[in-house]
Amino acid sequence: MTIEASKPNIGLSGQEKAAKGTFMKDVIRDKYLYLLLLPGMLLILLFRYVPMYGIIIAFQDFNIFQGMNDQEWVGFAQFSRLFHSPDFIEILRNTILISVYKLLCAFTIPVILSLLLNELRHVAFKRVTQSIIYLPHFISWVIFSGILISFLNPVDGMVNAIIEMFGGKPIDFLGDTRYFRSILVISDSYKEVGWGTIIYLAAISGVSPELYESARMDGANKARQMWHVTLPAIRPVIIILLILSLANILEAGFQQIYLLYSPLVYDVSDIIDTYVYRVGIQDANYSYATAAGLFKSVVAMVLIVSVNKIVKKAGQDGLW
Amino acid sequence: MVGMTRGEKLFTVLNYGFFIILIAVMIYPFWYMVMASVSDSSLIAKGGLFLVPVGFSVDSYKAVFQNVSILSGFKVTIISTVAATLIGTFFTATTAYAISKKRLRGQRVFSFLILFTMLFSGGLIPNYLLIKQLHLIDSYWALILPGAVGAWNIFVMQSFFKGLPEELEEAAKIDGANDLTVFFRIVLPLSKAVLATVSLFIAVWFWNDFFSSVIYMSSKEMWQLQMVLKDLISNTSAAVQQAGIDISYQGEINEFTLKMASIIVSSLPILIVYPFLQKHFVKGALIGSVKG
Repeated sequence: MTIEASKPNIGLSGQEKAAKGTFMKDVIRDKYLYLLLLPGMLLILLFRYVPMYGIIIAFQDFNIFQGMNDQEWVGFAQFSRLFHSPDFIEILRNTILISVYKLLCAFTIPVILSLLLNELRHVAFKRVTQSIIYLPHFISWVIFSGILISFLNPVDGMVNAIIEMFGGKPIDFLGDTRYFRSILVISDSYKEVGWGTIIYLAAISGVSPELYESARMDGANKARQMWHVTLPAIRPVIIILLILSLANILEAGFQQIYLLYSPLVYDVSDIIDTYVYRVGIQDANYSYATAAGLFKSVVAMVLIVSVNKIVKKAGQDGLW
Repeated sequence: MVGMTRGEKLFTVLNYGFFIILIAVMIYPFWYMVMASVSDSSLIAKGGLFLVPVGFSVDSYKAVFQNVSILSGFKVTIISTVAATLIGTFFTATTAYAISKKRLRGQRVFSFLILFTMLFSGGLIPNYLLIKQLHLIDSYWALILPGAVGAWNIFVMQSFFKGLPEELEEAAKIDGANDLTVFFRIVLPLSKAVLATVSLFIAVWFWNDFFSSVIYMSSKEMWQLQMVLKDLISNTSAAVQQAGIDISYQGEINEFTLKMASIIVSSLPILIVYPFLQKHFVKGALIGSVKG
């Protein structure tokens, strides 16, 4: 390491102010900071920004055997093909429906759970409960889908074994369009709602105990205390999380769907991301799939930017 | 329960009852898998497994550790997770530290460039083509580098560094330290909590990753563990046999117990570190979400 050998830099805050003259002086003063910044920025430029340049293939008819410069330009032809395709309405509808359903759950259940968790006075019990409900967040979707598939299996799955025990007929849950979306939403909630309580619990712990005392003096029962004390206290957090998740409305959960779906249920489960993967990587329609992906990225960015504006207008801290 | 009204007592009882049921529901699938993995598979098929194992056999675990694909998946995942966690945590910290200094010329531009990656991305196909053109298909770098340094973790660390008292840096500089010395000797040792949080996030992400294998790995020897599992879980017995299970076990274990045992073995590392890191990741999740 060259740390020992390197000469001490100018760094006194008084001198710093004096040196605030030219641009180059500052750059030289902070040369080690730039050195620290360099590798991370290079990784970001290479793996985040170069793919953004790659988006130009959405406006080409990309042929993998030709160089980037020899491609045929087709303008918006890929987009018009996409918007006119019968798949488009379906994948857009699925994307929005699935994420709205998930949002409703991921949004209401953690608030309710946090309110209830907050009422647990037994410290050890509360801690154990929290550990257990956070845990599924750390288990991969591969493993989770494995559990689901084996539990819901129509031949020897446990759920169907129970249904049969009560005289019902086995159901192919993952192959049936009537159940598929519900399974997506329920399993996503199961995995993530515990994790979702972390931030609400932190907000609740900031509420002054005196407020509860005085509410009790006034004869408020538990439900009324939650309604009139806790909820108003965490309202800012609720609002900001709601608005931020609205910005992610096109994120319906690629991994989960990719692992659970099958051609039987494409009608109700094919989202933009899974579609991009199938027509892009599997069928090698690079330009067409890039156009579909770009459509999603642009809509998502417009949503995030406008939501951030709204958040700031409402007097909250935005994302930036 | 002294000093409670009847309504409050009732509520408390119901609330505890609710959480006991919730815990049971949350734990049951994992419990079931553990019990299934040590059960005698011929007995499970008759359907009798609910709470305790039927029969007892660790053959499925022996099979897991003799399965060529699973072992190679472990190797790939361990190498890429360890490398990505070291590389990722280190460069996330260096980048975050530099942009935490307001005096740095261009600090706002760099921050925006990083932030912008959270708003917009090239998408799947351009990413795939980039890896292909860099000739990284089937290499460890394709698993490690694209995801190692990300905007979210940089901002988590940056907000931590911003909270450190400036007097520390000033005092060190009076003593003749430069920015590198300050970063390595003073800042990093004080940042163990946030380093632990970010490395946990990175490690979990890489441990659970399978999709990089789906798109970047054409040879099965380079499949990550989760990808091997995915293959094992979704495929029929033919694939399980191809996966190289020792012939001598084929009679006694079936696919089901093997799947259960592999799932357990592959989640074990996370389950082991989890309790030690819980207080850190809760803090990290909060820094991340509260940041302005």
